Amino acid sequence: MSESVVLRTIGGMLFPYILVYGLYVQMHGEIGPGGGFQAGVLVAAAFILHSLLFGKELTDRLLPTWLVDLSMSLGVLLYIGVGIVGLVKGSYFLDYSVLDPTHPAHAEALGMTLVEAGVGLTVASVILTMVRKVNGEPA
Amino acid sequence: MNAELITALLVIGGAFLALLRAVKGPTTFDRVLAVNVFGTKTVVLLALLGYIGDRTGFLDIAVLYALVNFLGTIALLKFVETRRLG
Repeated sequence: MSESVVLRTIGGMLFPYILVYGLYVQMHGEIGPGGGFQAGVLVAAAFILHSLLFGKELTDRLLPTWLVDLSMSLGVLLYIGVGIVGLVKGSYFLDYSVLDPTHPAHAEALGMTLVEAGVGLTVASVILTMVRKVNGEPA
Repeated sequence: MNAELITALLVIGGAFLALLRAVKGPTTFDRVLAVNVFGTKTVVLLALLGYIGDRTGFLDIAVLYALVNFLGTIALLKFVETRRLG
């Protein structure tokens, strides 16, 4: 498939747009359809498209396996970190209002953005790893 | 009955016909094309439903579905050609 010029051109054109759309879904998730999970799936879909069209060696150069493994745990760490901040500051787990006590609305927006970023990171990297495993590679 | 509802019903009918071709279709090419047509009809139907229900969020889902539909077709073609996805 990597010798098909039409597919490679169209896929190469579409790859950045899927990535940007994933970011849009991530950022817009609060007020529209979307959120961390959906954005993670979209970002993973962009890299799956890249590896289908250009081969997994090129995709590995673009997004190394160690980075995928790292961001898999980094997302969970971000989520739990935001939750732990609430515990440390003397409130309950995942209490956003302690992040900015003077502005509760700002604090909630900040906390939700961080948590959704964590979810997106983890979902994207877990789906990429799942696809690698299904293809029979050691991940 | 208003026009956009009739259009939505017609699109659903067309999608059903495409699904029939995907089940019957003698060659693999027929099936791939039918699945692609079905995905395109889904995109149109999502946009129509967004218009009928006056919910602009549906347009986001329609764009998303168009992107993922393209990916699915490419994966199917690659699997047919090489019998593996890697």
